[in-house]
Amino acid sequence: MPELLNPGVIFTLGAFVTLFLAAGLRRYFMLAVIAFSATVTWQMDLGNYGNLQLFGETLTVTRYDVLSRLFVVVFHIAAALNVIYGWHIKDRVENFSALAYPGAAMGGVLAGDWLTLFVWWEMAAITSVFLVLGPRSRSTYMAAMRYLAIQIASGVLLLAGIVLVYRESGSLMFEALALRNEAGDLNFGPLLVFIAFGIKSAFPLLHNWVQDSYPKASITGTIMLSVFTTKLAVYALARGFAGTGELIWLGAFMTLFPIFFALIENDLKKVLCYSINNQVGFMVVGIGVGTATAVNGAVGYAFGNIIFESLLFMSLGAAIYRTGTSKATELGGIYRTMPLTMTLCVVGALSISAFPGTLGFVTKGLIIDGVAEEHLMLIWLILLFASAGVLEHAGIKIPFFTFFAHDSGKRPKEAPPQMLIAMGIGAVLCIGIGLYPDPLYALLPYQDQIAGYHPYTSYHLIEQFQLLLFAVLAFVVLQKTGWYPAEVPSVNLDFDWLYRVPGRAFLGWVITSVAAIWHLVWDNLVRFMEAVARGLHHTHGPEGALSRTWPIGFMALFTAIVLGIMLIVTFLI
Amino acid sequence: MADQHKDHGSDPGWADKPWFVRLFSWGLYLACALAAAAGFFWKKDHPHFEAEGFPVFFAIYGFIMFFLIVVVGQHLRKLVGRKENYYEERE
Repeated sequence: MPELLNPGVIFTLGAFVTLFLAAGLRRYFMLAVIAFSATVTWQMDLGNYGNLQLFGETLTVTRYDVLSRLFVVVFHIAAALNVIYGWHIKDRVENFSALAYPGAAMGGVLAGDWLTLFVWWEMAAITSVFLVLGPRSRSTYMAAMRYLAIQIASGVLLLAGIVLVYRESGSLMFEALALRNEAGDLNFGPLLVFIAFGIKSAFPLLHNWVQDSYPKASITGTIMLSVFTTKLAVYALARGFAGTGELIWLGAFMTLFPIFFALIENDLKKVLCYSINNQVGFMVVGIGVGTATAVNGAVGYAFGNIIFESLLFMSLGAAIYRTGTSKATELGGIYRTMPLTMTLCVVGALSISAFPGTLGFVTKGLIIDGVAEEHLMLIWLILLFASAGVLEHAGIKIPFFTFFAHDSGKRPKEAPPQMLIAMGIGAVLCIGIGLYPDPLYALLPYQDQIAGYHPYTSYHLIEQFQLLLFAVLAFVVLQKTGWYPAEVPSVNLDFDWLYRVPGRAFLGWVITSVAAIWHLVWDNLVRFMEAVARGLHHTHGPEGALSRTWPIGFMALFTAIVLGIMLIVTFLI
Repeated sequence: MADQHKDHGSDPGWADKPWFVRLFSWGLYLACALAAAAGFFWKKDHPHFEAEGFPVFFAIYGFIMFFLIVVVGQHLRKLVGRKENYYEERE
């Protein structure tokens, strides 16, 4: 195998080949590329590959270790599920992105040095923006431009951070960074890298690009987008900033605020986008705690989340595909004709809520245990609160308002076979790994810790059943009393309002002002130059005093005067 | 979409039938009772926090927190809710 051929490169090359293939052939080719890449990965031993020399520095294109392996494995699964789910998609650009975008994410995960990471980081932004642009309307164009600006800003910050880190350490290797020095002050280089990672993992107040852009993509586009960018960032945080205390509070806040926005949101695609923020929050807390248990939990939960969040997106996507709407007010009652999709959605919902027997249960418990082991009581209470919140918006709201709730009168056909197959595989993974987590545990980075961990202890079961069942009971009570808020067609302002409305107006004002100042300066300059030209014309022009033809007598007089002056001057000196 | 037909009326599906609603509700009450009761029989060996030693802590916490999220959270709509084409009108 050529040294440079890693999954990122294979996917990217494959993506370019798809551009030249006939529509009917592309999907088979895409699956073949994923299968080939999986085989190459399977045969690869842990270690560093593809060392390149650049300006005297060594770049490591592939660092295949216990941390990157887990992400590469789950990205392959997600990419394959996306291709199967979108078997009917013949759009050349979307097919291209379906390989190039996961490829970029895997390239980033495997990057052993900062420069390689930067290249893939930007590739992930560029290849994914085509998915946002997919539906080709004005609003998607605007959202795509905002998305691109934010993603590229993340890349620029990363590059600036890399330069400072390199100047400080003299090494380009992508290793853990210290956000603060020994005196407790922030290190500027690592801080820039931290913010770059923070933008892509959608830290609080940097999160709105998710809700803004993801729901505007096509159905399959949204599912793809939901997986890769944020999880690439989670990986990067786990690699670069594990044990950074600031992440604990950032992550805790990330788990909290989306709960309330998801509660009042009518667009179920957006509800799931808020769910991404909330879920990444759990991972960020785990990384911030930084112990073996918590980091195992964070990356294990990233693996799990990719599967069950995709399953939720896919089942909602199937409902949207058949009904043409993602609004809670326009959906409902379709379980009658889409029972399989509904069942698969419920599996995803149970899993994301971490019901025992599911993938969520065997991974989320590790994060919460990690927090408890460090005796971070407030964070522990926040995560339990957030778990009730997850149950509310992802566990109940998504399946309930999509398939049950009020009868919309819609009687759509069951989801097409390719969607059912992809969702079915997702559901089998949710329950299969939930009941038998050992294969997933074997992929976790800290094997000593996980060897002594047993998710199915009587206490863990009781604790989780109590929390979730009583939360469901609260839902039933709220429904019966009519206190559960009805969905209303609306849009909810979030932090992005600042840059979409006043920010945009301010930018417009700045542009108009700069234009006005420019015109003022330019007009005056032109007027001044015209005056100078007129003056010159006046004296030097054809009619000007200096271009007149003088009579010989005047010239003789003029010469006599000059000679006279010379004589006086010479006499005086 | 061509796949949707609105002429079926609102015939109650199985999930809307009273027997299912009753079955689901009573199943849930029973499961809650069992989970709460189990808390009295199995204790955590090495609790990290005092709360973990309280047999029905998670039940009470789960119920109250879910209740609070919904009852308090819905008021956020008054603050940030706008009509659907809010941004379209401004961009």
